[in-house]
Amino acid sequence: MEFKTGGGKMEIEPHRDGSMFSHNGLVLHTGNGLWLEIDGRKYKAEAVKVGDTWWVHFMGHTLQFEVVEPGASGGEEDGNLTAPMPGKVLEVFVTEGQQVSAGDQLLIMEAMKMEHKIVADRDAVVETVHFSAGDQVTQGAELIKLSD
Amino acid sequence: MLKRTLVANRGEIACRILRACKEAQVESVAIYADNDAGTMFTELADVSVNLQGEGLGETYLNQKQILEIAQEYGCDSIHPGFGFLSENAEFAQAVMDAGLVWIGPSPYAISQMGDKMTARITMKQAGVPVIPGEEVDGGLEEVLAVAPSVGFPLLLKATAGGGGKGMRAVHNPANLESEAKAAMREALNAFGDDRVYVERLLIGSRHIEIQVLADKHGKTIHLGERECSVQRRHQKVFEESPSVALDSELREEMGRAACAAAEAVDYVGAGTVEFLVTPKGEFFFLEMNTRIQVEHPVTEMVTGVDLVREQLRIAAGEPMSCGKLNMRGHAIEVRLYAEDPENNFLPAIGQLKRFVAPTGPGVRLDTGVREGDMVTPDYDPMLAKLIVWAPSRNEALQRMERALEEFVVLGCKTNVRFLTELCSHPDVVDGWTTTDMIEKLWPNGWSPDQTSIVEEAGLLIAAVCEQINYGKSIAISRGKSEHVSPFSTLSRRYP
Repeated sequence: MEFKTGGGKMEIEPHRDGSMFSHNGLVLHTGNGLWLEIDGRKYKAEAVKVGDTWWVHFMGHTLQFEVVEPGASGGEEDGNLTAPMPGKVLEVFVTEGQQVSAGDQLLIMEAMKMEHKIVADRDAVVETVHFSAGDQVTQGAELIKLSD
Repeated sequence: MLKRTLVANRGEIACRILRACKEAQVESVAIYADNDAGTMFTELADVSVNLQGEGLGETYLNQKQILEIAQEYGCDSIHPGFGFLSENAEFAQAVMDAGLVWIGPSPYAISQMGDKMTARITMKQAGVPVIPGEEVDGGLEEVLAVAPSVGFPLLLKATAGGGGKGMRAVHNPANLESEAKAAMREALNAFGDDRVYVERLLIGSRHIEIQVLADKHGKTIHLGERECSVQRRHQKVFEESPSVALDSELREEMGRAACAAAEAVDYVGAGTVEFLVTPKGEFFFLEMNTRIQVEHPVTEMVTGVDLVREQLRIAAGEPMSCGKLNMRGHAIEVRLYAEDPENNFLPAIGQLKRFVAPTGPGVRLDTGVREGDMVTPDYDPMLAKLIVWAPSRNEALQRMERALEEFVVLGCKTNVRFLTELCSHPDVVDGWTTTDMIEKLWPNGWSPDQTSIVEEAGLLIAAVCEQINYGKSIAISRGKSEHVSPFSTLSRRYP
């Protein structure tokens, strides 16, 4: 089974024994809720799936694991600068065709009454500017496309 | 005695006030915008009225509509909470002109303190020390002109500001113009007023505020301090009382200055005087918040004073009920935000699929959300305030850490883990908290202190849950044999 996390992709095939699962010395009991067993101590765990992502809580940690469907292409996200939050574009500093360097400010947007700078992640050429000042954008919308 | 109060706010603080009204046997009216229908605070009021319109301007900031509702529903008073219209002198005046009681200070006191430049001048005249800086009345040109005389690093602040909006620190003169423009733009969007002023940035100083209470019988007292130094993006995340930086002498000196500040504007009700305290123990007036404060619970826990009940009492013209200041033990509050601490604390949204708050001795939760609620970008991303009290600071930190570890929030990113780690951070344990500590400790952003075993355990849980379709298969796997007759346990003895 394959999962995507903030740190990259991870694979795991837990060993099953009835309602007990194990992997690398870690044991998870699923008979009555979720109980994690580490070195003979038991810790209560909570888990819920939202979309393709499992949200997991145990020992005061909250982690997320996105299920990678078998056979799905590992679509690399590159060259896209997307809106981190729904909000409004305040100012665009670049035009299409312009050469930019890593760290250059490309655009400022406002979300939840705070300003957020969108900055070039590498040296590149601005291929497309999708919005202009005053436009509303939704979360995840591509704002600017860069090409090398 | 007030009879019926309209609470002109929403969420967590509306819940706090509505509960106080219930306890004081004052009837309450809540108002709510369409996107708040069915949320907790609307259920705590005796009557809840749907605001017409969309967006803040047409709803929670709509003075005309709120006043009409207050009159239509026979209210005799309005409690503004914090934020929204709480520091709007024009609204306070309109409430009073309509023959209602405004639960807060006079419009005069609000406007004297609300305009930060006027406040600076008033405080200087009252003999309260202010931060070296320049009051600026003109636009960008004047800001650029006075900056060199104030010196770098400096802080640009919205004259009408609050909550970190329209506030920018400038360390390098080369960034002054772009930062000044950004501050002015933010200020214009947030407050409809783009004036900013320039102040020396006091590096390594603490943000300590004094709670004051004044009634209409000539009594003005202070209720000790709150240490609010731990901030990110100029917003507080961790507050405590008492502060390790104050001894009883400095507390009394700052308390006297705070009372002088309040008396200078004939203050009535609950208010907060904020100070910056330098490592040398000098203190400077920062601003006065003419309303109940987000972090008021820590003061309540250590002084035993119910600040919101006192507000209701004072507004009704009764004398305040509290006597001599008697601080006891230690209280800490953390603010649980829907945000991603790993991504520069950017606000987060999502559904609270699981929301299980900690309980147990010395734990208080002030929130306006429940499991299943949606966190949207429409309002402030603060989900809850978790407050603990314990006999000592060390025990309070341990209790807070324990409580935060019990706190389960799934479906929306929060700062719970960040707050948990903060409780055991050596600088926090030692009390070396300063307003710039988060930027200093994590200049490249924070990420959780996670061992590989934690990651592997999490992965195991996710994989097993995916495999057994956890959460969806429970009803099927338990089947019919799970039903236990209640009579079979009837004669069972419990130890």
